Amino acid sequence: MRRRVVITGMGAITPLGHSVEELYAAQIEGRSGIGRISLFNAQRFPTQIAAEVKNFDLSRFVKEPQRWVDSGVNSQFAAAAAKQALEDADLLDNTKVDRTRIGVYLGCGEGIQDFHNLVSLIAFNYDADSRLVDTAGFTSGALRYFHPGREAEQELHTSAAHLAAYFDLEGPNFNCLTACAASSQAIGEATEMIRHGDADIMLSGGSHSMIHPLGVTGFNLLTALSTSNDPPSKASRPFDLHRDGFVLGEGSGMLVLEELEHAKKRGAHIYAEIIGYGSTADAFRITDSHPEGRGAAACIRAALQDAGIQPTDVDYINAHGTSTQVNDKVETIAIKQVFGDAAYQVPVSSSKSMLGHLIAAAGAVELITCVMTIQKGVMPPTMNYETPDPECDLDYIPNAAREKTVRCALSNSFGFGGQNISLVVRKFDV
Amino acid sequence: MADSRRVVLTGIGALTPLGLDANAFWDALVHCRSGVGPITAFDAKSLPVRIAGEVHGFDAKNYIDKKERKSLRVMARSIQLSVAAAQLALNDGNVDKTQLDPTRFGVEFGAGLIASELEELGEAARVSANCQPGSIDLEKWGAEGLPNITPLWMLKYLPNMLACHVSILHNAQGPSNTITESDVGSTLAIGEAYRILVRGQADFFLVGGGESRLNPLSFSRQCLFQPLSRRNDEPELASRPFDRDRDGMVISEGATVLVMETLEHAQKRGARIYAEVVGFGSAFDRQRSGAGIARAIRNALRDAGIEPEDVDHINAHGLSAVDVDAWEAKGINEVFGDRDPPVKVFAAKSLLGNLGAAAGTTELAASVLALHHGLVPATKNFENRDANCPLAVIAGDPVPATKPYVLKLNFTDMGQCAAIVVRRWE
Repeated sequence: MRRRVVITGMGAITPLGHSVEELYAAQIEGRSGIGRISLFNAQRFPTQIAAEVKNFDLSRFVKEPQRWVDSGVNSQFAAAAAKQALEDADLLDNTKVDRTRIGVYLGCGEGIQDFHNLVSLIAFNYDADSRLVDTAGFTSGALRYFHPGREAEQELHTSAAHLAAYFDLEGPNFNCLTACAASSQAIGEATEMIRHGDADIMLSGGSHSMIHPLGVTGFNLLTALSTSNDPPSKASRPFDLHRDGFVLGEGSGMLVLEELEHAKKRGAHIYAEIIGYGSTADAFRITDSHPEGRGAAACIRAALQDAGIQPTDVDYINAHGTSTQVNDKVETIAIKQVFGDAAYQVPVSSSKSMLGHLIAAAGAVELITCVMTIQKGVMPPTMNYETPDPECDLDYIPNAAREKTVRCALSNSFGFGGQNISLVVRKFDV
Repeated sequence: MADSRRVVLTGIGALTPLGLDANAFWDALVHCRSGVGPITAFDAKSLPVRIAGEVHGFDAKNYIDKKERKSLRVMARSIQLSVAAAQLALNDGNVDKTQLDPTRFGVEFGAGLIASELEELGEAARVSANCQPGSIDLEKWGAEGLPNITPLWMLKYLPNMLACHVSILHNAQGPSNTITESDVGSTLAIGEAYRILVRGQADFFLVGGGESRLNPLSFSRQCLFQPLSRRNDEPELASRPFDRDRDGMVISEGATVLVMETLEHAQKRGARIYAEVVGFGSAFDRQRSGAGIARAIRNALRDAGIEPEDVDHINAHGLSAVDVDAWEAKGINEVFGDRDPPVKVFAAKSLLGNLGAAAGTTELAASVLALHHGLVPATKNFENRDANCPLAVIAGDPVPATKPYVLKLNFTDMGQCAAIVVRRWE
């Protein structure tokens, strides 16, 4: 029999609070974390709203915040959420556990580019007639104005390395970046590493912020973001007929995954068991998902098969539910393909209606939401669901949380480029 | 059962500073020809480092069907190199795509940050510049800058687009992942794809790494924080792993994609087999003491079920940086230090420079070909032994490969380590 993997710790830094408890309580109340962008002047951008992490202070979480002084908020949020998760699992400074058997697998996004220096250097060295940039001028300016430490910290391997170094996690160390599916994929592959025996414990999750000028620019150009700036709390409306794009969020979610016998032996608190993981590609287009949900449906099916369960065993689905026209329609189609008639019986909700889209970190935060739903027996709502869309006709738990005994939950994450990940968690039974 | 599923390497697509396919790559390796030269990709005269390993003569159009060529416009150079290398790997593996089950076909890449081409932001920058340096008028940028940028701008630079474009072009609907872990990215990708094939979630994989930092933004950033060689007047002598007079690494570009599949799948389609993947291990070297490197190596050897004496040669990370090479030597010697005769060490970066996210697949390809041809290339520029790197570095001429196993090692500047073991196919 394969090794079983359970969740023994969780941590979260999100627009809805700086702990798992706050994150979940806010969702049950249907509170929105979305407001006008305060991190930079977005007044003349098509999109002026986002879900920001407010009042974050890394020194409240780690003793040596100076390690992250040059890091982007992606690494800083990760450090704080990791500290919570490891503490929750009693793994901080715990020398009774073999630290070489604890690994890290993150789906952590990039650091934030030095927008003002980069763009002004381009402007200064740009010739409007030839439309060329003088690269000798640009590079000499780059050496002068870019900050070496902050440039180094933008690199994609730094967040996972800092966690391993600071928290003494000397096992396998990975970071994947598969757009909006990244942290779900990280959790799935980390689960597989424990199953295979590459590690006994994995710290896994994601962290990301794209609430910066180039991030909003990129998504605005793709017309992926909602431009319903007023009121901000109404902008993210997954599955509603009048949805017009997603809202950027930021933050981090971290989980401690542990081999079951290892967790039992040290008396760790077990939140839930990860029983299924599916991973597929649409192989269709870089911009759109497959119109019939080919990859998404195959992914959900693969996760259920890996879990050894039937669709009717699923009590709750935490949808990818971005609030874009295409995603929500295709995700609905995919769920119906896999669940058949049972699709109308299983409640589905989107945390993004309140949290916005945490991009690489979204999957981890949403899986944490699933685990809390199993623990507490209350499913978070999809907020702003006001006008039904005939093409989205499932039970989306509209506008108010609902009590239900949830034993088994499915979490979907679908990324740009056609990357699909599904995870299944179940209440832990001895 | 699952563990009896064996994984073999059946195709190599390599676009590197050593040439535009695996044959040119091997020819340069055995003749000890360096791929490092003066930077020609952009005007580097203001930089302290003006040498690199460039892929010369690359034109992505030569590797992609006419009807797909318009998609090249949304591919940064890292992506174009990767897509082309994937096509070369399929050609080299003699793969008939119509015979593959798309749902059992996976793709996994190591990738890095991809820098925007400066010109794409030129007009937007011009209309929103303030008079002060280092300050942009964000209101102008939002209102007048944005419409001057091409709509798909961001998608051209997402790290997961290497794998996504490959999956789209070849209808690969199985697992797809992108490991973004600096110099160890594609090594970890090989390891993960190996695990996925063994556990049965796919039968056929394209595993690659692709990276080009040969553009003004990436390269000047690297100059700020990487230990780079300043041997600008002697480019071919600049990358000298483990040599006493090394002074830093050389940045290179390229992409190498490997065809990996289950033995059963390869035999069914009558594929030529280069080598078998038999072990993978990874770890974190927290103190930069070599302990983590040693643990990754031991994990990989244990996974392969072999002992240190079974290893023909170690294909080292060999960065050519002063402290990093000494760190690596400590790690290797923790496992192999008491071997007599000592284990041979080959450092491909002496010829290639550092391909970053593409280093793992590219360097492993060198040893796969070494096992295949029975000949291990020599490390270029290894002239004087460094007391801090007590290793038996192969220098001068190639030597025969006499044992069946190769150990490939890579790690990052922050301590993320990975090791792969491959076995000669017999």
